[in-house]
Amino acid sequence: MIRTPAAYLTEGEVRRVHEASLEILEQVGLLVRNARAREIFAKHGCKVEAGGENVRFPRGVVEQHRAGIPPKFTFRARDPQFDRTVPDDAPVVISGSSAPDMVDPATGVARRALAADIARIARLVDQLPNYDIFSVSTLADDAPPAFFSVTRLYAALKYCRKPVRISGPPEELDSILKLAHIIAGSKGAYMERPFITHHYCPCVSPLTMDYDSTETLIYYAEHGLPGHPTLVPNAGLTSPLTLAGTLVQGNAEFLAAVVLEQMVRPGKATIYSSLPTVADMRTGAYVPGAIETGMLFMGVAQMARFYGVPCGGYIGLSNAKVNDAQSGFETGMAGVAALLSGNHLFNMAGLLDALMSFDFAKAVIDDEIVAMLRRIQRGLELTEENFALDVIREVGPGGMFADHLHTLERMRTTGFLPEIADRDPRQGWLEKGGLDAQGRAMLRVRDILTRDAPSLFAPEVDARLRQEFAGMVAAEFAPPEGWTRAPDEALSDRAERRRRRLAQQAEA
Amino acid sequence: MSEDLGHLPLEELLEQIQDNLYGGHPEPVVAGVHELLRRGLTPYEALTQGLIAGMDVVGEDFRTGKLFVPQVLMAAKAMKGGMEVLRPLLAETGAPRIGTLVIGTVKGDIHDIGKNLVGMMMEGAGFQVVNLGINTDVEKFLHAVREHAADILGMSALLTTTMPYMRVVIQALKEAGLREKLIVLVGGAPLNADFAKSIGADAYCRDAAKAVETAKRLMAEKMGAALA
Repeated sequence: MIRTPAAYLTEGEVRRVHEASLEILEQVGLLVRNARAREIFAKHGCKVEAGGENVRFPRGVVEQHRAGIPPKFTFRARDPQFDRTVPDDAPVVISGSSAPDMVDPATGVARRALAADIARIARLVDQLPNYDIFSVSTLADDAPPAFFSVTRLYAALKYCRKPVRISGPPEELDSILKLAHIIAGSKGAYMERPFITHHYCPCVSPLTMDYDSTETLIYYAEHGLPGHPTLVPNAGLTSPLTLAGTLVQGNAEFLAAVVLEQMVRPGKATIYSSLPTVADMRTGAYVPGAIETGMLFMGVAQMARFYGVPCGGYIGLSNAKVNDAQSGFETGMAGVAALLSGNHLFNMAGLLDALMSFDFAKAVIDDEIVAMLRRIQRGLELTEENFALDVIREVGPGGMFADHLHTLERMRTTGFLPEIADRDPRQGWLEKGGLDAQGRAMLRVRDILTRDAPSLFAPEVDARLRQEFAGMVAAEFAPPEGWTRAPDEALSDRAERRRRRLAQQAEA
Repeated sequence: MSEDLGHLPLEELLEQIQDNLYGGHPEPVVAGVHELLRRGLTPYEALTQGLIAGMDVVGEDFRTGKLFVPQVLMAAKAMKGGMEVLRPLLAETGAPRIGTLVIGTVKGDIHDIGKNLVGMMMEGAGFQVVNLGINTDVEKFLHAVREHAADILGMSALLTTTMPYMRVVIQALKEAGLREKLIVLVGGAPLNADFAKSIGADAYCRDAAKAVETAKRLMAEKMGAALA
């Protein structure tokens, strides 16, 4: 484990960021578009501009409410074995969310994502070992507006056993809950184990709270359902073009959002989740893959520790369009910076082109990057036993460790054994087909998507859902067009199958 | 200041205006425009030889990466200053219209950074811009299109839940008999060209520079069609 998180700020500087945030909230305030939010703020001692939308937050009010935030947040699944809690289980990894497009696995061309894609992504996230939570990764262009979120949730929950996170518009709040109740069996059963976590972005920088996302924050807090906001200041466009100013403004926006949560439901758990970026001022491009995002996460983690709130966000995004060196170094570098600085929730994986498209191979590669992050988290494991002094004594100068029982017992666990990274000598690599990371990742994708994926819904539950939401797109899992299902005998050991396939490719 | 400018040969005066546009200094641009008019240039000549020629360089240097976004926005502000002097005179003298843009973020959406960038860069290209702000409904769009005799309507959305509203606006424009004469441009992160086509917009613009380029092109076609 990492005992001392990497830190940019001194304790005094952390306090100064907090003070500066309070100053912004007290003196500048926020423009709060949502009328209910203004009422709630006013009722709890904030100063709402008469006849206007500006809300100012006296420091005492902020301090009082932020002090009530619990130190943990749990994502629940239908089956408790998949529950994950931050910070206890950190790093907790959640797939990237809500990309409008999809890199078609068969053609490699980006296109609008459909409900059937979500079914496949759900299965992939279910099967990849390093993902903890499925944030519904794409939109569904074929979903009717009235059943947009319901269509996405249906496909997600039908094929993924892990906790599911989604955001939806106010018009769909009731139908999302109805769907959840049907799947759980009853409202009571769902409230015992709410397996959908809600996500909202109520703050539109600079210093504005919107209508709709703020409404969903209030709604879910009122209903006692799990949810958390994400704050997304963009330096140069929606926050000052300094990392310090962006940290402070984003922190003020975080405080405003979570103070509202606490006012609606004192003691509500939340996450300090963010996606702070620095715009590329050459073009104004949105660049979550930039190194400054990783750096800002280091500052955010320090602020979250100061508040005693679990933290994280969209870590490891990339602006690359394909799985090239850029997509790897952007995801990897931000991931390491965020991990070493003590972030807990890694909302990464699967997205290219600045959240615009989901890519199956990227999801598989990111699964392996996460495995490496987990390896970093495990650390050097310094124990007397691990010093292996007796083994060193036994083998002695000039001896051999490879044939020792001590080595045999640890050969699968000490070093992380990658499936995507290639470690063959050049000739061996060529003999196995000379594939790059993208090519090897696609083999894994094919392996997962060409096998049967069982529906997690009982037939009667499925029938009720289809009846209740007649008009939604009820997606069924199927391999991508042009890919054939693997024969049943192939359901033996997966590693063996991959080895054989690579060998066959080398022959061909 | 105009006394000093009075001594400059015309070539140098034009160059100075263009330098001040490039540097983003509104007051000297305004002074320069007044001087051009004092010397007897028509408003249209002052516009094309002074301001537009200057902004063309700004646009070119932005495309090649020499100028950054804040510099272009400063130049656009200087351009806006010059245009405020010229606009009424251009109308009086019957000069060719550059065009009026009505722009807004659609109902339900409050994301307006991109839309504001488009508005400022369109001002930089000489367009008159009526910015309706956020959360704009059909009535507000239609009213502004009528009131300002808009040539172009720009609609923006960041949310997938709000972008379908663009279709509603275009439908209302058709019903009001306003659609045919109007150029409709749409933009926002989740949009694409197919979407723009499917809702009956004229074009999808992926960024502010593209919006300016598209607006100029479609406006030229529109003026050409009007003359033909």
